[in-house]
Amino acid sequence: MSPDLAFAVFAGSTVRLATPLLLAATGELVSERAGVLNMSVEGMMLTGAFAGAWAASATGSPWIGLAAGVIAVLPVALLQAVLSITLRANQIVTGIGINILVLGATTLAYRAVFGSRSRTEIPGFEKWSPPVLGDLPVLGEHLFRQVGLVYLALLLLALVAWMLRHTALGLAIHAAGAAPRAADKSGLSVNAIRYGAVIFTGVMSALAGCFLSIGDIHTFTEGMTNGAGYLAIAAVIFGNWRVGRTALACLLFGGATALQFQLPALGVDVPNALLIMLPYLLALIAVAGVMGRQHAPAGLTQAFVR
Amino acid sequence: MDLSAGEALARRPAAERGARDAARGRPDAGPALLRLEGLSKRFGTLQALDDVSLEIAPGEIHCLLGENGAGKSTLCNLVFGIHAPTQGRMWLGGEDYAPTGPAHALSHRVAMVHQHFSLVGDFTVVDNLLLGQTRGVLDRKRCAAQVEALSQRYGLELAPHARIDDLSVGERQRVEIVKCLMREPRLLVLDEPTAVLLPEEIEALLDVCERVAGEGCGVVLVTHKLAEIRRVARRATVLRGGRVVARSEQPAAELDALVRAMIQRDLAAPGGGRADVPRAKVTTGETGRRPEPALMVDGLGVRDADGVQRIDNVTLIVEPGEIVAVAGVEGNGQSELAAVLSGMRAPTNGRFFVDGRELTHATPRQFSAAGMGVVPEDRHAVGCVLGMTVAENLFLDRLQQFRRWGLFDRGALDRSARELMARFDVRAAGPQSVFSSLSGGNQQKAVLARELTLSPLRVLLAAHPTRGLDVGAVEAVYSHIRAACERGVGVLLISSELDELLRVADRVLVMYRGRVMGECAADEGERHRIGAWMAGHAA
Amino acid sequence: MTAAALEASRFRPGPAVWVSIAAVAASLAIGALLVGLTGVSIPEAVAAFADGAWGSPYAIGASVNRALAFALVGVGFVFAQRANLTNVGGEGQIAVGGMAAAAVALHAGVAGWPLGLAWIVPLLAATAAGGLWGAFPGWLKARAGTNEVISTLLLSFIAVWMLYGSVQSEALLRQPMTSSSTLPESLPIPDAAQLPLLAPDSGLPLHVGLPIGLALAVVVGVVMSRTVFGLRLRAVGLNPEAAKRAGIPITASIVAVMAAAGALGGLAGGLMLLGEQYVLKAGFSSGYGFDGLVAGLLARGSIVGVLAAALLFGFLRSGGINMEMVAGVPSALVVVIQGLIIVTLAGAALFIDRRSARA
Repeated sequence: MSPDLAFAVFAGSTVRLATPLLLAATGELVSERAGVLNMSVEGMMLTGAFAGAWAASATGSPWIGLAAGVIAVLPVALLQAVLSITLRANQIVTGIGINILVLGATTLAYRAVFGSRSRTEIPGFEKWSPPVLGDLPVLGEHLFRQVGLVYLALLLLALVAWMLRHTALGLAIHAAGAAPRAADKSGLSVNAIRYGAVIFTGVMSALAGCFLSIGDIHTFTEGMTNGAGYLAIAAVIFGNWRVGRTALACLLFGGATALQFQLPALGVDVPNALLIMLPYLLALIAVAGVMGRQHAPAGLTQAFVR
Repeated sequence: MDLSAGEALARRPAAERGARDAARGRPDAGPALLRLEGLSKRFGTLQALDDVSLEIAPGEIHCLLGENGAGKSTLCNLVFGIHAPTQGRMWLGGEDYAPTGPAHALSHRVAMVHQHFSLVGDFTVVDNLLLGQTRGVLDRKRCAAQVEALSQRYGLELAPHARIDDLSVGERQRVEIVKCLMREPRLLVLDEPTAVLLPEEIEALLDVCERVAGEGCGVVLVTHKLAEIRRVARRATVLRGGRVVARSEQPAAELDALVRAMIQRDLAAPGGGRADVPRAKVTTGETGRRPEPALMVDGLGVRDADGVQRIDNVTLIVEPGEIVAVAGVEGNGQSELAAVLSGMRAPTNGRFFVDGRELTHATPRQFSAAGMGVVPEDRHAVGCVLGMTVAENLFLDRLQQFRRWGLFDRGALDRSARELMARFDVRAAGPQSVFSSLSGGNQQKAVLARELTLSPLRVLLAAHPTRGLDVGAVEAVYSHIRAACERGVGVLLISSELDELLRVADRVLVMYRGRVMGECAADEGERHRIGAWMAGHAA
Repeated sequence: MTAAALEASRFRPGPAVWVSIAAVAASLAIGALLVGLTGVSIPEAVAAFADGAWGSPYAIGASVNRALAFALVGVGFVFAQRANLTNVGGEGQIAVGGMAAAAVALHAGVAGWPLGLAWIVPLLAATAAGGLWGAFPGWLKARAGTNEVISTLLLSFIAVWMLYGSVQSEALLRQPMTSSSTLPESLPIPDAAQLPLLAPDSGLPLHVGLPIGLALAVVVGVVMSRTVFGLRLRAVGLNPEAAKRAGIPITASIVAVMAAAGALGGLAGGLMLLGEQYVLKAGFSSGYGFDGLVAGLLARGSIVGVLAAALLFGFLRSGGINMEMVAGVPSALVVVIQGLIIVTLAGAALFIDRRSARA
């Protein structure tokens, strides 16, 4: 395999594998900026993946699948919001609890709907490439031919970054997480902001899940998110709660996963376990403060009460 | 002035009131701006406010006085909508007023300048002002222009794009005030705003209050500083134990009476003035040697993580039995000095010794062993564990002495705690009560009790020991400190309450921007010099 | 953690217990409903569940053994919680414990050692490995202020994948590959290294780990509530600055308690390997760490609560497995029930706190 081709394939895989992380991490970033640690990203992704797969296979339309995924996640996100914001339950407990609940529920539902261990092919999204970029010699074929959701992810990322920096909503989200009392005294409703943030995370996570089942693999398997939700949280931490650096983290993690497939093809023998472990290791190095001081929002995980 | 509100109102016929108002150049009040009637607030078993009635006219500066826990802050919070009253009603501009939250209050043009927690440290001034005030895309340029305009109008210097965390306390308060003024309020509430300001900043703030009131806005000023009341108060109300115990229509002329109403005792010198206490003079003993200074600080310097020199070449000595005060407005290095001298922070350079023993890089345990007791500035942060019992807090640094057969002897702890509580008059339901259930004064007494029973005790470092305490607790604190002095303990007292320092201390050092500006005897006559040093002028 | 919740660690059956029972009952009821929805007859499913959970000496023993692992992780969690530290790395601590036990039992030549050292030494190795895996995030927290929820979680994933990697390679723990279909797992643990059974001929698979675990639970309970160290941990948890000022060694306390929590998790892994599974393979920890964590979370600071929750989850797991095998109800149902229990109890915490505070 020529180096150009190898690189192009690697770049393409990286982007593809990073996309669910990008979507979920962008959503989680907004939640955490507002002060809510959403451990249930994993469960929300799984919800989206399953609901999307089910609806797509039932109706034959991946678009309806996408819509179904987003709608299905709303009660889950709402549950997380009510528990951690209104009932002021421990955010870690509720997150893990919801993940467990969703894992069990989707597995049950999958068995009931598809029968056990079937690998039904689901109508998925086709790949697509933008006009000029898609025509580039090597890169065009591998890097720029991606499922539409990839481009959507990048667009949403840019939108969120702009929103956080230049709008009143962004300011409010920052304040709700960094200084909730100050936000309250300015007349804002900290809890309403947090509710909105959690729902947003839910929608983004559902999109990420749909990408997995409808966009990428075109099937649903039990527990298919397999820790991606926790990786998204790790990406936000590694990204020091900044959109740009978080996106970089997602690409890095995606690249590590891509290497799992690429390196053996190149004849390099690196133990799979090491590559799978790499993103977590990187995140650990980041939180250990080796890469500069961490600026977590001060009110993260603290429920707000006047 | 009378001690009964009803009586006071009854005694002044309306005509007399009107004439007096005219004499002051203000028209007869007309409909009140804010009227409170029978306001009560209960938090669980605590009756924070009890049947409070009050009236504020447009353009009036109304001072709210009272000891700590009297209910002043609660009253402000009710007016601003942070809490809802348990009973009673409020009227604003003649209409029913029952705010459901700060947003609601703000929409009625009621604004409050808070003591804490209302600015986002990470944001710039402009971002803080925009917070909650605008929708859609942020127009930072326009806001900056507004800031400049208000700065000019009210004389409040502000750099629009400075980060809050980088500003001094006085500057941060200016941001708070501008934040309120931008809403063009008709009622402005200020909760103890001058506690952390330089003398000239206090004057500037009072100027702003007068200007704002001159435009017809009502101002509620919560304070206990007599100088401020004398200068700007049009009317004053005194709260004690949640009730109105006195009102005054001529506060400037009735100051002593107001104070009496607050505390039911005269503002005489606590513990009876310095002259009454025989000072432990530094003498040459029989061996012909001078005793070691209790505390010696030599060339202390602290540079923080951002490279700012917080303490700059500070040298001072405290002899046994002496009270040395470190005066200065907060934020000039006193906190860092207290942190270094109590072992919570390492200095960048310099050394210090307690009773001849070097403690520059010692652990807190070594501090206690050397005889350094510390009453910290923020007892909640560093001095005590609120969630633990009184007994556990009283012996937090010596829990190991209650070990019996490897286990912890609660009975012995209880007994020792009761004894200590009796000695220092720490009032609580019992040694097993949660520390947070004690009043501020009793908590401080408990911390003092623990530190003063350190054995041996050579030096007591007390940082702002009377902050937030009522006059009774203040007296108790100083009498214990004096008693310690008589036993030969050297006391380093850090405080910004100049009045207290001058009455209690032997010598005064003034810190400004981390350096010692000057040192003199703690004499009333030196007040002017000390004030100048506090403001950074080498007098 | 509120003062009220910390009070609960002085065990007093109050509103918390009743709410817990109600939550569990409600979740079980919903579970039963779901069973009905899958078309299986409810009585049949319940019978299979009961059979698998406590229907035979073997079942009881299996349930209790599982509960033991959960309990150790949960006790470690509660211990660390005393100092306001949240250790969610139980899964990883089990994994490193299992790896250490396997390595020592198989390759350190202890199989021939007398006096039970053949299983004691691997257990000690497992405990030590877990201790290190807990001490590290503790040290990061004390030194760099790193949030221990994140660091223990990340280390957990890392450890699980380390275990996966270790059984893939013969150079590490994989059994020699005699053919291309040799499974990626370790050699079987030699008989001498397997934990002695308490009642060898009765069919009860309870092993010596049970008394060890119970004893440790009691020790931790006593340390927490009746020693100076336990009191100091409370101070560190509630106000580290004040504790530091009072001369309490913060770093040492944090590292010590996190190491202890990790050690208990490591021990759980060792017990699982040497007492139950006898072979190390990928997926070894199979969610035991999370179950133990949940048992710790639900116990709200009480050791007795941990033991009760752990036992409940032990029965749930065993019953679920049998329900799937015999009645065809996916064991995912049990997972759903667990999730419901966690969510309802977490949500009810506010009301429990309020009622306790008023009491």
